[in-house]
Amino acid sequence: MAKISIRNVHKNYGALNVLKPFSLEIEDGEFVVLVGPSGCGKSTMLKILAGLEPASGGSIMIGDRDVTDLAPGDRDIAMVFQNYALYPHLTVRQNIGFGLKMRGTAKAEMDRRIDDAARILEVTNYLDRRPKELSGGQRQRVALGRAIVRQPQAFLMDEPLSNLDAKLRVHMRAEIGALHRRIGVTTVYVTHDQIEAMTMAQRVVIMRDGEIQQIAPPDTLFQKPDNLFVAGFIGSPGMNFMTSEVVGGNTPHTRIFGQDVPLHGVRPPPGNVIAGLRPEHLALGAGPVSFKVNPTLVESLGSEKYIYFDSGGQKRMRDHAEDETTKSMIARVDHSGRLDAGEEVTLSFDPAELYLFDAETGKAIGK
Amino acid sequence: MTRTFSQSLMLYLTVILTLGLILFPIYWLFITAISTSAELSALPPSFWPSAPQWEIFSRVWEERPIPAWLLNSMIAALGSAALSMVVSVFAGYALSRYRLRGGHSLGLFILTAKMLPATLLVIPLFAVFRNLGMIGSMWTLIIAHSTLIIPFATWMLKGYFDTIPRELEQAAMVDGCSPLGAMVRVVLPIATPGLSATALYAFVLSWADYAYARTFLVNAPQNWTANLGITTMKGEYVTDWNEISAAAVFVAVPVIIIYLILERYLVGGLTAGAEK
Repeated sequence: MAKISIRNVHKNYGALNVLKPFSLEIEDGEFVVLVGPSGCGKSTMLKILAGLEPASGGSIMIGDRDVTDLAPGDRDIAMVFQNYALYPHLTVRQNIGFGLKMRGTAKAEMDRRIDDAARILEVTNYLDRRPKELSGGQRQRVALGRAIVRQPQAFLMDEPLSNLDAKLRVHMRAEIGALHRRIGVTTVYVTHDQIEAMTMAQRVVIMRDGEIQQIAPPDTLFQKPDNLFVAGFIGSPGMNFMTSEVVGGNTPHTRIFGQDVPLHGVRPPPGNVIAGLRPEHLALGAGPVSFKVNPTLVESLGSEKYIYFDSGGQKRMRDHAEDETTKSMIARVDHSGRLDAGEEVTLSFDPAELYLFDAETGKAIGK
Repeated sequence: MTRTFSQSLMLYLTVILTLGLILFPIYWLFITAISTSAELSALPPSFWPSAPQWEIFSRVWEERPIPAWLLNSMIAALGSAALSMVVSVFAGYALSRYRLRGGHSLGLFILTAKMLPATLLVIPLFAVFRNLGMIGSMWTLIIAHSTLIIPFATWMLKGYFDTIPRELEQAAMVDGCSPLGAMVRVVLPIATPGLSATALYAFVLSWADYAYARTFLVNAPQNWTANLGITTMKGEYVTDWNEISAAAVFVAVPVIIIYLILERYLVGGLTAGAEK
């Protein structure tokens, strides 16, 4: 186990800058998740960390060693891949023991460690099988076994759950979390799934276009997003964004759903802003700020409903850009009764739950 | 989906016709070998000799240097298969895995050698070998055959390597292998079907050659391959076609045996490589 220091690591392909200077200090035993949409540079960063791709600049320390120019096998890390990357011509035992064999571990010691890893991951009964004879979940366990058997300084995981079905993914998510708590190895985990990031990480690094957007614990990301992108990326369904305007004076307010909404706690300068409201912060029935809508679609999830409604001429924003394809907004309300599209309902929200972002830069102004 | 009777009939007729077209020359070769000279010139021809001459095989084996010719063919085929495989595995792997400036064009350029007819290359190759004092040596065949095999084998193997996920090598490197170690310990064992199919292609191409052997080895009878040796069995005034056919059967047998052994790899290797 060791701490990891990534300092100003960047990656260019000619003029194309796929990873902008990236710095991150990861504590010993910490579970950090890199998350972001496809092409955001998270897998590139992980591969650079693993030594599978050279960085264009910057340095990486694992423990006290500068590993920037070391081969992957000399970095004392283990990696779990999206497609498991199990060696198809070897048995499960040989797969798990491959890294130990490469390092010249004695046979007796190797057998003991393979058996230990197999017991922890409950694959003891499959040790003599080949990967093609295993289910997806079993393969993933073997891949984890191959990582833990070496007792490395750090685990690197590249979307390890994305090939599993939804139910198994939830199960394996919990298992990986439990495994981390049990052996406490520093882990860097890459995913595009915000739910994996939120549920597994001690700290989340949100990336976009090769750039870090925010580094924070999951709850902080949700409650205090640094910018429009983070606010829209974290949370399901995503935050509703609307163009609006702050009107100054002693009691600054903004105009939303045709109403003047007083701003609490922040005093942004007058001008254009983007207002954000999480779907779960909209409630059914009257409240501090109420308005009537005609739902265009109602989706029932049993105990709760997603109400889609027209924002009434107010431009809906998505991912820091005006989204011309949909003017729909979403409310996520606790309601198990009958609710139909086209039937007028009253929705409300608390102004304290309103997020404001600079219309030019997308940076958070406050909540 | 169930087939109607007429569909089944058409299917079987097509299969029988295709098999007949492919297998008839082999059948005729065999019949010619065990027929008497009189039967061979009879009209209408008979499709099975009245008194098969089974002893023809032992007679040809003993009276003609068939074992030596077969040994020479085997040396040339195994030699060129081995040489081409070593080159093609590394070339195919490099084309599949590394992005080099102009690498794709270079890969395509390799193929142009395959597009030229073998006979066109005979003259320059002869000139090169003569200048090197190699004419008459088995190495001429091994090298010349390799020049024909390597372009196609490289692309065949590249196609196969492309189907193997890179993550396997990356996992091996994280586990402590060097890039070459990852290739040898992980990629090549997985690529066994593709390697077998390519090696078989190389072996058969060399085994079936006549033109190069005739050009480079004609004055070195001790190095004659089976295909070259058999043509010398044709006399100026009298030709024993049954003896020639019996010798040809001996040439066909090793290839058929190797096909039967490698058949399961061959089908997998060719289809997997063809996916790309």
